[in-house]
Amino acid sequence: DALLACHRFYRSRPTHGIGKFKYLLPKEVPKKKKEKVQMKEIDAGTEYQYGDVNIQMTSYDLCLVEHFAQYVHRLCNRLSIRVNESYAMPTKTNEVLFMEERGSKMQLDAVLTTHQRVVQIRGLSSTFAPILLEIIQSNQPEGVHLLMKQHTEADFKSRLKSRPELEELLAEMS
Amino acid sequence: MAGHCGARAMAARLGPRAAGSARGVCSAAARRPWRLFGAMCLLRLPRITQPLEKEEEEMVALMEQIELEKSCYSDHEIRKLEEEEQLKRKKESLYDEDEARGKTVIMAQDLEEKWEQKFLQFKAAPRVTDADKSNDRKSLNRKLDSNLMLLVKQKIGNQELWLLPQVEWQPGETLRSTAERAMATFLGDHIQAKVLGNAPFGIYKYKFPRAIRTENNMGAKVFFFKAFLQSRDLSQAELKADYLWVTKKELGEYLKTEYLKKVNRFLLDL
Repeated sequence: DALLACHRFYRSRPTHGIGKFKYLLPKEVPKKKKEKVQMKEIDAGTEYQYGDVNIQMTSYDLCLVEHFAQYVHRLCNRLSIRVNESYAMPTKTNEVLFMEERGSKMQLDAVLTTHQRVVQIRGLSSTFAPILLEIIQSNQPEGVHLLMKQHTEADFKSRLKSRPELEELLAEMS
Repeated sequence: MAGHCGARAMAARLGPRAAGSARGVCSAAARRPWRLFGAMCLLRLPRITQPLEKEEEEMVALMEQIELEKSCYSDHEIRKLEEEEQLKRKKESLYDEDEARGKTVIMAQDLEEKWEQKFLQFKAAPRVTDADKSNDRKSLNRKLDSNLMLLVKQKIGNQELWLLPQVEWQPGETLRSTAERAMATFLGDHIQAKVLGNAPFGIYKYKFPRAIRTENNMGAKVFFFKAFLQSRDLSQAELKADYLWVTKKELGEYLKTEYLKKVNRFLLDL
């Protein structure tokens, strides 16, 4: 009976935490990797496979774009396409000014925010790509612009912020 | 998935898919007794979303409510609330300090009313166009919420049939260019259509009736390619007058059953 019974050492017992050892090991500081290596796959070959493909969705309506991005992500999961990343680009605000020049000059302001979501895919075979494109296109909601393109370094760099002071110092140094 | 099924059907006969298929066919054309055709399925994408079903509408209402409750106040709404409070305070007790502080000339409420008036003035285009009412199957403006496909009347053997535009494959060109040529012969050059990929979407093979069958000509295989029509209006450079733009449901009225079965496999109807 004593052998079969479960003796998990409860917190009030003096033997609580008897097997712990991680606090004894030296602490490792996690390495910070700032520059991520971009990997590109072969495009040509007997079996066509695209490298990294970006599906960019832009719209004025936030909820719509987010839900559509979620839908695309889940669709790729179901179709067993590997999704590298699914991120959002910073929102752009546009101010629309109306100048009515009949009689009194009025300025009506409207503030529009443009949201963009990107789903990055890898390992898309060329026989399947047009089918996927057609499915996504036919399920596009109103007001959402769809753009599918290959991932380039420029796309990667557009996500990063430039540091003018650092660049100035580097320019001064060299 | 339909593309895979269609390709697998012919994988037994031809080798690898995609561009490899064209190369495989090129080398083996001399031996094969099948004649090859490339057909183009030209789709006009829907321009309006389809009307929502009951469950979809309920879902939309629910999601909107959830989003509304989850969201934070926007600038305009905060401004509106502040002005309402200011008005309340003025009514209860006379505070001149509020008026001394920069009073807004235009209240948020006025702005809202102006916007609402503008919105009421806006009229959306009608969903059911004239072509729908007259059921004119030759115009592109017909069913704006579903895919329209091009059907052409062609002469095969001694029968005149309704088919997707097809043209015989000539050795030395890829199947995709055959399909593009088919499109060009029926619609004129410079059609802004985007062909989806190099791999065919479906295949239909049939054997000729015994009277015509020779050693070299057992039958024919038709490879279907899909393309999206980009331009809105087609310049009327039609070579053959018998053309139709039909939806998937109306296909059954025009195509033969076997042909229809294979074509239906790769058509998305959403």
